[in-house]
Parts: sequence; structure tokens; C-alpha cells
Amino acid sequence: MSTQTALVPRLLDNLIWLLLLLAGAAFSLLTTQFLSVNNLTNILVHSSVLGIMVIGQSFTLITGNFDLSAESTLGLAAMVGAFLLAAAGEPSNGSGWMLHPALAVAVMLALGLAVGAVNGLLITRMRMNNFVVTLSTMIIVRGLAFLLTQGKTVTRLPASFKVLGHGSVGPVPLSVVVLGVAFGVAAVITRSTRFGRDLFAVGGNRDAALASGIDPDRRILQVYLISGALAAFAAWVELGRLGVGATRIGEGMIFEIQAAAVIGGISLFGGRGTMIGALGGVLLLSVINAGLNLMQVSGFAIDMVRGLVILAAMLLDAQKLRYRQPVRRPAPDARLAA
Amino acid sequence: MGEQTYLVEMRGVTKDFPGVRALAGVDFRLRSGGELRGLVGKNGAGKSTLMNVLTGVYPCDAGEILVRGKSYPRMTTTLSRQLGIACVHQHSQLVGPLSIAENVFCGDLPTGRLGLVDWDRVHRGAQERLGQLGLDIDVRRKVEGLSVAERQIIEIAKALFAEAQVIVLDEATAPLPKNDVELLFGFVRRQRQRGAAFVYISHYLEEIFELCENVTVMRDGRSIGDYPVSALTPESLIRAISGVEVERFRHASAAAGGVPVLSLRGLTRPGAYASVTLSLAKGEVVGLTGLEGCGKDALARGLFGLEPMGSGEVLLEGKPYRASDPRQALDRGVAYLPRDRHGLGIIGPRPILENITLPILSRLNNAIGLLSRRRESELVSRLISSLDVATPSSAQPVEFLSGGNQQKVVFAKLVSAGPRVLLLDEPTQGVDVQAKVEIMKIIDRLAREQEVATVVISEEIRELLDVCDRILVMFRGSIVAEFRARDPGTTVERILGAVEGAAQ
Repeated sequence: MSTQTALVPRLLDNLIWLLLLLAGAAFSLLTTQFLSVNNLTNILVHSSVLGIMVIGQSFTLITGNFDLSAESTLGLAAMVGAFLLAAAGEPSNGSGWMLHPALAVAVMLALGLAVGAVNGLLITRMRMNNFVVTLSTMIIVRGLAFLLTQGKTVTRLPASFKVLGHGSVGPVPLSVVVLGVAFGVAAVITRSTRFGRDLFAVGGNRDAALASGIDPDRRILQVYLISGALAAFAAWVELGRLGVGATRIGEGMIFEIQAAAVIGGISLFGGRGTMIGALGGVLLLSVINAGLNLMQVSGFAIDMVRGLVILAAMLLDAQKLRYRQPVRRPAPDARLAA
Repeated sequence: MGEQTYLVEMRGVTKDFPGVRALAGVDFRLRSGGELRGLVGKNGAGKSTLMNVLTGVYPCDAGEILVRGKSYPRMTTTLSRQLGIACVHQHSQLVGPLSIAENVFCGDLPTGRLGLVDWDRVHRGAQERLGQLGLDIDVRRKVEGLSVAERQIIEIAKALFAEAQVIVLDEATAPLPKNDVELLFGFVRRQRQRGAAFVYISHYLEEIFELCENVTVMRDGRSIGDYPVSALTPESLIRAISGVEVERFRHASAAAGGVPVLSLRGLTRPGAYASVTLSLAKGEVVGLTGLEGCGKDALARGLFGLEPMGSGEVLLEGKPYRASDPRQALDRGVAYLPRDRHGLGIIGPRPILENITLPILSRLNNAIGLLSRRRESELVSRLISSLDVATPSSAQPVEFLSGGNQQKVVFAKLVSAGPRVLLLDEPTQGVDVQAKVEIMKIIDRLAREQEVATVVISEEIRELLDVCDRILVMFRGSIVAEFRARDPGTTVERILGAVEGAAQ
């Protein structure tokens, strides 16, 4: 019996790689270019920013908390970074301060940490609901990004700054290397450090974590700081890739971030999931996007399909929890029965 | 007496759960025309299961249920409600943020011509109906502002409005203070005069004697007897409830002399406990018992840092001790097993391994600051085999284990931290008889082999006698009596007397 009950969840946990394989096979049959080196590289490049964002989101989700504001933090950090770097006036639309790239990155990361600190403190100290807090900061932070440049696009960024999103190591784009390293580090943190274990405990049962000597509030504050910093880091990569700073960077991305995490097995209810699975979720979404583009599906239909994929992911998550629910064994005493 | 004289009759009811026969041919009857019947037995005796069969929550595997002489082979929750059977639980089913009137009319609010709620009729109607039951209460008050007794009265009233004639009170008084119990009893007696029958499930035997006319005693899924309360004494009722233990574990004292491991002097936290003084020797197992709310569990949570400790002197191995959070307690070697295993004990979705090493992860780091998974899994497999946790592997999520095995995992977690003091709050609650004995053996072994000083908090006095060296009784926040378990004069009856406040 025990092997059977263990098999279903294990299958559900690794379902992502099967889906990825299936999607890849389908698109290589339906299109000729799908398996080209160019296209596969593109898929990985497109995965990099999403992937970095998914790592941050997975950290908060594992503790049972959303960070909806991450997409706006990405936008604000990108805008501020571009603004500090670029020349003033048309067509650059920057501040004209032409800050050193290293300094600009430092400011961006500080911004990300600041948004994370606001989120984390409101949730842990003020006992506010994480969804409401990060929904509010998502709107506020996006507003700040618009305010800064009045919605203008900032162009002509220094090449040394753009290297992370634009450069490459031999044939491999630097952003892909960054993606790999980021997920490797995240996987080690979640599996083999006290910090990582604590996150699962906090999300799995906050009170039991507390009674095991963990400070749940401290961990929750820390994951929001990490999520904010990673959003700012993703902004650095994204600016390099796009070459311009636009106020709408990252807008609406949160849905894709959450979908990738959940498809990859990170539970919205906290306490479950792996970083490797989350990477699978990121790759699957990128494969679907790229495949539909190659098939020249109209932009409107793409949105619909993406919506369906996200819905399917949430459905899977709900079903998984149902499968995982242990057989309800009413105690003979049945004091739980009501 | 003919069948017609019974409002409810259950004959030979049998119910099996996987691996357990919860009910084995139980007979249970309620007279028509009103009756106050107590239903008593130990945890796991089958009281709640029997009532769940009666109300259709569980179908029975064999037997017959008759209501007003008519047999109902397929009882369901809807059907039992239609037949006028209702159940009031310890935890209120009312909607807190709504007013009493809204709760009374919940799901059936009277509306006016436009389909809008007719608030005037809601309030007047509720006031009138409650008035008929002899209740004078402002129906505009919100339920969340009511006392627990008031809420239960409103729930019973709601059941009566729905034409209920049989009302099951399942451990209804556990959370009630004394004067609220009187309020509830007065109300129940008045309704009995009007012909309602009550089944009163309680661990508080004095309440059975105070309220009930008859009592049914259950043990191990069987009905042991059916007595008029007037024919019983507290002693004979306790004997009927506990019966003869099949297997009995007896702890051999390992208490050592020397400096006490833990000593409290005049520890006081207003509203929880007052001037608690006790000292715990190395390897000693001390039982702490008393009524719900007497302060015994608050004391453990205070010492573990889950709640404020209060003022007074606390020494751990001779040095001053304070814990403002569990981390500090664990670091000083004080570990706590919570009563609420699901709420505070286990992290359900995570593997056994991760649950066990949670408090000691920082000690398992290797040279580069990462967890040494090899050392971790060695430690865990040692603990799993020494505590005899039944599981295919240490990767199994804890939520898949049985209650007894989950409890052993929580024990393993505490043991991994190498504690000097163990505070165990109801360690055998919700686990089966076999696991109870195994858990007692673990407590005994930790005391003898590792000289752990242990406090066992429990209301199961017989178990405390088996596993403890001494038993302390708390009453209204203070320790009022001390018994040596091996003293020939120490009996369950005498301890129960102290629990009920006889020592005052």
C-alpha cells in the first residue's frame, strides 16, 4: 500500500519533465524550426528573466506567501537603472547623470531590497495579509516607475551595463549561464541549508516551525528581501536584453511567474516543491510561448492559450493536494469528526 | 416496556474503521418524553463514533437504528436532522461576526416585499423565540462577543427551533468555566421538562452526577452498562469506565539525587498559574494533572517560551533560566511536546527526516557550511529504529503516518536535540492503546538511559500512575496536592478528588 501511495505523488512531482518532453515533441512535429539551435537558445534566453523571477517567487511561496509586487519591482529597478545611466533629453530620456554601471546596479539592488523590506515588515510586524500587501505594493511601485520618467522610454544604455543580458561566453549567452547558476545556487540553498529547510517548515506548518525553534517572521522577512533583490537583478538582465528601459517592463508578468512556479510543483499553499521542478515550469512556459510563435498563432490566441496553461497548472496543483491528502482515518475516538 | 416508549433505540450497532473495530454490537436507548442521559468512557471508547452513527455521519456496518419505533436502515445527516436529532460540539458552529438573531435565522432570514431582509421581523422573531425558551438576551449582540456557554445555549436553541427532540452535547462543557456550566445546565433542565432528550458526553464525572438521570458506560467499542445515576457512586462509575487494563506498563523510578535539573519557585503568571513551586530531579518523571484550564498546560508553554513565563525564580541545573521563544528553550535543553500534534507538532507535507532534524540543523553543517546529508540521515535512521517508527523510509511525508507514529516522530525530534528537560503535553492523546504503551516505554527509557527530567501533563490519571514517580495536581493555577505513584495510599479516586478541588 505504501509504495502505491508514494508512487502517485512522485509521478505528480515529476510530471513537469514529461510535459516538457511532450510539448517539445509536439512542436518539433508541427514546425520545422523548433529543434534548431537558434530556437532552443532563444527559449533559454527568454527563460532567464522569468527564471530569476520564479526563484524569488518560489522562496516566498514555499513559506506560504505571495509576492505579487515582484513584477513591479522589476519594472521600477529597470526604469531607475536606465534613468541613472542614460543621457538627458531626447532620445535618451535619462537623468543625464551617466552613473557608473556598478553604482547603478547597486542602486537597483537597494531598491529591490527596499520593496522587499516594506512587504516583509508589513506582513510580519503589522500582521497584514500577504496577498493584500503585495497587491498594494505592486500597484504603488508600478506607479512610481511611471512617475519617474513620465512613461517615456529610456534608451542608449552603456554597453558594459548591457553585457549581462546581451553578452555571451563562447556560443552560450551570458543570461543562460546566469539562469543555470541561479537555479543551481537556489537548489543548494533549499535542499542543503538550514535556511532552506526552515522555509519549508514555515510554509508547511508555521506554528510547528515556531515550536521547533524557528523564527517564522524572520524567515518571511528574509524571503521578501530575497525576492525584491532578485527582481532587481532580473531587471539588470532584462535591460541588457532589451537595450532600453520602458515603464511597462514586467507588467502582467506575475501571472506567468506564478504559473511557472506552480506548474513546476511549488505549491501555492506553502511547504511543497523543489527548485529543479520550478526550472522545469519555466522551461515549459517558454517552450509553449516559442512554439506558438513559430506556428504563427495570432497574438490574441497566444494569450488565451497561456491563460489555459495557467488554469491547467492551478488545476493540477489542486488535484495534487487532493491526491496527497492521507486517507482520512477517523480515530476510533473520532473527536475530529464533526 | 414496549418499543414505543423509546424515542431512539440503537441495537447491536457495529462500526469498523481500517484496522479498528470502533463499535462492537452497541445497544443504546433514549426514553420518549424526555431524558438526560450521560454517555461516558475513556478516549477511544467509541462514544463519539456511536453518536456519529446516530446522526448519520458514519453509516454503521451492522445493527439497527430505530427512531420513535421505526427502523431507519440508511441513516444520513439530512435524515437524522429531519427526525429531530441534533449535535452540539465543543467548538461552536455559529457564525461569529453575525448577530444572535441572524444566527438564529441563518439560511432562512425573513424577507420583505422587495426581497430585502426584514430586520424588524428578524430581531422581533428571534427575541420572541428565545423568550419562549426562557432566554432573555439582546439578539442584536454579535455571537463573537458571547461567552462559550452563551454560544452553546444559542446552538441548542437553534437545534430546538429546528424541532430537534434529541440533542447530543459532545464534550460541551470542556471549555466552560464553573458558573457558565450552571447556566447551561439550568437551560438544559428546563428544555428536558418540555420533553427534549439530551445525550451528555463528558469526561467530567461530577457533571454526570449533577445533570443526568441515567448513564451509559462504554469501553473499547462496547456498551458496558446502563445505570440510573442514583445507583452509582463516583468510585463505581470510574471502575466501570476504566475496567481492567490488558497490558500495563509500570515505570521503575530512575530519579537521581543531587542538584535538581529544573526548579521553580513562586512562578506566577496572572490568569494562568500562581506561585508554582516544584523541583525536578535528574531522570525523574513527574505527572502534572488537573482540570482543563487549571494552568498545567499553560505552565509548560510558558517554560518553553511559547507564552510569557511570568515572574518568579526558575533555575535550570542551578542557573537562572528564561525563555522568551522556543529557540532559547531548546538551546538550554528544554524541549516540549505539544498537545495539538497537528497544530504544533508535525510539518505534515515534509518528510520524516526533515521533521526530526528541524531543531538541530545548525549542528549538522559540514566544513563548507552546508548540511551534511550523510550525518543527517545516519542520525535519523538511528532515531527511527530506536523509537520504532513504522515507515517504509525516512522520506515519507509525516502526514501519511498513523497518529501513534506521528507522535513518535515528534518524540524523535525532541530527542534529537538531546534535551535535559522534557515537557510532554498529553503525549498519548489520540493514539491507540498499543502506541500508548510504546510511548510510555520511550518516556521511561529516556529517563533511565539519558537521565532526562520529564514532566508528563495528562488527564489520564491511570496512565500517570504507570509512568510517573510523582503526580502533582493543579487546581485553579496552583499545585494543590502531590502523590507518590508507588505509595500504597495513592489511588485514582484520591487523585481525582484533588483534581476536582477536594484538597481546597
